[in-house]
Amino acid sequence: MRASLFITCYNDTLFPETGRAVVALLERLGVELDFHPAQTCCGQMHANTGFRAEAFSQAKRLVRLYRDSENVVIPSSSCVAMIRDQYPGLFEELGNEQLRGEFRALVPRVYELSEFLIDRLGVEEVGAYFPHRVTYHASCHGLRGLNLGDRPLKLLAKVRGMELVPLPNLERCCGFGGTFSVKNGDVSSAMLAVKLEDVLQTGAEFCTALDNSCLMHLGGAMHRQFAGMRTIHMAQILASTEQMPAEVAG
Amino acid sequence: MSVAGQPILDPVLAPPFPKAALTVLRDVQLRKNVAHATDVIQAKRARLVAEKPDWQALRASASQIRDEALDNLGSYLEQFEAQCTARGGAVHWAADAAEARAIILGILKEENASEVIKIKTMTSAEIQLNPYLQAAGVKVFETDLAEIILQLGELEPSHIVVPALHVNRSQVREIFARTMGLSDLSDDPQALTAAARHYLRRKFLEIPTAIGGANFLIAETGAVAVVESEGNGRMCLTLPRTLITLAGIEKILPRYNDLEVMLQVLARSATGERMNPYTSLWTGVTPGDGPERFHVLLLDNGRSAIRARERERQTLRCIRCGACLNACPVYRQTGGHAYGSVYPGPIGAILTPQLTGMKHAQSLPYASSLCGVCYEVCPVKINIPEILIDLRAQVTDQERKKAARLFDPMYLGMRVANLLFSRAWLFHWAQWMSRIGSKVFTRKDGWIHSLPGMGGEWTQTRDLRGLPKQTFHAWWKQRKQASR
Amino acid sequence: MVEAEKAGLAMSPKSAARAAILGKLGTECRAADGASRPEPIVRDYIRRGSLDADACVAKMIERLREYDAEVTECSPEGLALEIANQIVRSGRKTFVAPAGVPREWLTPGFDWRIDGDLAGPLAIGEIEDCDGVLTACFCAVADSGTIVLHHSPAEGRRVISLLPDWHLCILRASQIVETLPEYFDRCAKPPALVTWISGPSATADIEMTRIKGVHGPRFLNVVVVKDGKTENQE
Repeated sequence: MRASLFITCYNDTLFPETGRAVVALLERLGVELDFHPAQTCCGQMHANTGFRAEAFSQAKRLVRLYRDSENVVIPSSSCVAMIRDQYPGLFEELGNEQLRGEFRALVPRVYELSEFLIDRLGVEEVGAYFPHRVTYHASCHGLRGLNLGDRPLKLLAKVRGMELVPLPNLERCCGFGGTFSVKNGDVSSAMLAVKLEDVLQTGAEFCTALDNSCLMHLGGAMHRQFAGMRTIHMAQILASTEQMPAEVAG
Repeated sequence: MSVAGQPILDPVLAPPFPKAALTVLRDVQLRKNVAHATDVIQAKRARLVAEKPDWQALRASASQIRDEALDNLGSYLEQFEAQCTARGGAVHWAADAAEARAIILGILKEENASEVIKIKTMTSAEIQLNPYLQAAGVKVFETDLAEIILQLGELEPSHIVVPALHVNRSQVREIFARTMGLSDLSDDPQALTAAARHYLRRKFLEIPTAIGGANFLIAETGAVAVVESEGNGRMCLTLPRTLITLAGIEKILPRYNDLEVMLQVLARSATGERMNPYTSLWTGVTPGDGPERFHVLLLDNGRSAIRARERERQTLRCIRCGACLNACPVYRQTGGHAYGSVYPGPIGAILTPQLTGMKHAQSLPYASSLCGVCYEVCPVKINIPEILIDLRAQVTDQERKKAARLFDPMYLGMRVANLLFSRAWLFHWAQWMSRIGSKVFTRKDGWIHSLPGMGGEWTQTRDLRGLPKQTFHAWWKQRKQASR
Repeated sequence: MVEAEKAGLAMSPKSAARAAILGKLGTECRAADGASRPEPIVRDYIRRGSLDADACVAKMIERLREYDAEVTECSPEGLALEIANQIVRSGRKTFVAPAGVPREWLTPGFDWRIDGDLAGPLAIGEIEDCDGVLTACFCAVADSGTIVLHHSPAEGRRVISLLPDWHLCILRASQIVETLPEYFDRCAKPPALVTWISGPSATADIEMTRIKGVHGPRFLNVVVVKDGKTENQE
C-alpha cells in the first residue's frame, strides 16, 4: 500500500510532531509513504476569507502535485473538507475541462487520517499504547463536513492503557473557525470559554482531536490559564507505543 | 430610530458584527437568557427529530417543494394572484419597503383607520412599518406577547421566533406594571400572561383593522396560512372588518397538499413541538366568516435579486423556523442584537446582506466559525456555510477593487500569502522568516504570550506555542538523506 | 369586491411594481435545469400510518391528554348523554353552537345560542358572553393530536370556537387518521377555511416557561365517538 502525505501548511510550520507521528504510525502499519517536497497549502484560508482566485491557484497546484498518487493522506479534516466541499465549485467556476477531470480523478483517493486507517487499511487496532486519561473533541469539519461518524472513537477504543473520558457537548464548535478566531476574536473567545469549561471538567490529562486547528485554540487557552491539561493530535496517540511513547510538547 | 442603549437593527446603520458583539458579550443576563432559551428549544427539537424515522425524507421533500416554488416563482405568484382575486381578495405588489409602507398606509387611510392590531410578522419589521405608521398618526398595537413586551418596553427583538427571549420575567413585570398601570403585578409568567390577555381583549373586539403576515401563500388556491401559538393570530384574522397581509414573494407554496410536508417540519424546527397550537388558513373573503375586506401585499425588497443568483437562491427557501439560530454556537454567545438586523443568526448572516444587494451588513458573512450545524438542522436544507463562503467572496471581490484596500494589511497579507504558497521555496523561506521574527515574542517556556497587530487578537485570550526549530518537511528531508 | 374596483386596480400605478417584479422573475414554468416542466417532488416520507384503527384512536387520545385536553369516549347512541355529562360537569351556563349541529346535542336546561340559523349570525358581544362552545370537526390527526376544522355548518364560523373559554369538540373515531398526509388525502378538494388546533393556546415567550391559554379557549374537552366505520371523503 502506497500513500502520499499532505502535511498541510500549518502542521508543517507549527505541529511537525503530528507529521512525524503519522509517518511512524503508517510505516508501522506497512504503508510505503512518500512526501512531495513541493507541497504548500490547500487554499482553505483564502477560500474562507473570500479570496477565490487565490484559493483556486493553490487548489490547482495541489491537484497537479498528487495526480499520480495512489492515496493522499491528510491529518486535518478541515483540509480534506476543503478538497471535497469547495474544490468542486472552484474547479467548476474557474477551471477548464482538463483540470476538472484531474480533480475528479483525484478526489476519491484523498483520505483524512482516520478514514485512511479504517476505510482504506481496514484497521481499528493500530498497536497503540498511551497510558493517560484522554477526552476527545469532534472537530466540526470532521463531524459534519466529512461525516467521520464513529471512526475516531473506534480507533481510540483500541488504544491500550488509555482511559477515554466522554466530553459533554462534544459536537459543539470550539470557536476557532480559522480567521474567525482573530476577525471575531471576542466571540471566538466566548465560545472557547464555554467549550473549555466542558473539556476541563472531564478531568482528563489530554484533549485530543483530529485537527490541530481546534487543538491550538483550546491548548492555547489551557496554557494561558495554567489549566494543567494539554492537547495532542490523535495521530500522536495512535503512533504512541511502549517503545516509542508519544512526543508531548509544552 | 432606536432608544438609547438599544441596538440598531437596521443593516444600513448598525455597527459591524465584531463591534456590536462586544457590547452584547458584556451583558451577562442576556447571554444567560439566550443560552437557556436556545438549549430548551434545541433539546425539544432533538427529541422530536429522533422519534421521526422519516425526518430526512421530509427535509428532502421540503427542500424540493421550496425549490420548485422558487424556480417558478413568477408563474406561481400569478396563479396565487388570480385565485385570491377570484375569491374576493385584493392583491398588491411592492417593489421595495417604501412602496410597501405607502400601500399599507393608503389602505388604512381609505378605511379611515386610526388604530390597527398586528400579528407578529418579521416582514413588517424588515420594512420598518411601525414607526412609519406611528408617524402618520396610526396607533399600532402589537398582539403577540413577545411583541407587546418589546413594544411597551421599547426594546428590539433578538430572535425571529421568540423575539423577547433576552428579556427575563422581572424585566417583563417592570414593563407591564409601568405601562399597564398594574402596580401589584407579580413576576410569575402566568400572571404576566394573564395581564397581556386582559390588555388585548378589548382591542381584539373593537379595532376593525388588522395587519399580519403569512407563513405560506398557496398558489393553487390563493389561500394564506398563518402558524402561531397564542391565538392572537386567530383573533386578528377573524374579528376585524379589514385584514392586510404582508408577505415576501418567496412565501409561495405550489399546492395545498405541500402543507403536509411544511407543517410537519416547521413546528418541530421552530418550537420543538409536533404541531403548534393554532394554524389558520383562509382564502380571499368568506362572506359571514372573517374580514369583509382582505388585502395581500406581495413584497420584493431584494428577493428577486437573490433568486436570480443560482447559488444563493436557496436562501429564499427559508421558512423562518429559527432552528439555525437555536443551534448556532455564535448566536448562543451573542443573541440577535449583534447582527444589526431583524433577521439574525445564520439565516440573517446570509439574508440580511443579500437583501441590501451586498451593499451593507458586509461583516455578517464573517460572523461564523463555519461549524455547519445550521445546515444540519435546517428543515429545508439551506447550505448556509456554502453561501457564507460565497458571500465572503462577493464582499472581497467588491472591496479589493477599491484603492483603499491596496495597502490594507488584511488584503495585502492575503495576496502575499498566496504568493508564498505558490512556490515551495518561498513558503519555506517565509517559515524560516516567521521563526526568526517570532523569537523575540517567544518566552523561555517556548510559548508566545503576546503578539502585536492582528496576532494580538489571538493572544488576547490564548497563548501560541512557539514555532518549532524544524519544520516537518525539513525533518523528512533530513531523514531521507540520513537513510542513504 | 365590486367590478368597478377590480377594473380600477388593474389600471392602477400598483401594476408598475407588479410588472417590474414579474419581469425579474420570468413567468414560464420550468425546472431548475431549465426544462419546460417542473420535475415531480420526491416524497419518500411516511404518507400512511401503520397503526390499526383502535391503536390510532388510542394515540389520538394520548396526544390530546398530553395537551391537558379532557377526553371521554362514548358510543354513537350514548353521544347525547355524554355531551350532557360534559356540559353539566363544566359548571358553565351559556353556550354557543353552530346551526348545523344535531338538535339532540343541545342539552336542555342550558342557555344555547345558535349561530347562523334562521335568526342569522350572533353578534360578537353575544358570543363573547358565552362560557363555552360546542362543535363537530372535520378530521383529527393522531400523530400530533391535531383537530381540524373546516368550518362547515356543524363546525361553525371561526369566531365561535375562538372567543369562549371552553371548547367541547365532538370527534368520531372514523374521523381520526394517523398521519398529516392522510388528512390531506381526505380533502376531496382544498378547503377555503381551515383551523388546525393542537392543544390550547400557549406561549413560551417569557423565559421559555410554557404558559397555556393566552387567547382562544383555555380548556378543550373532546368526546370521541366510537363509531368504528371508515369514512369516505367528504
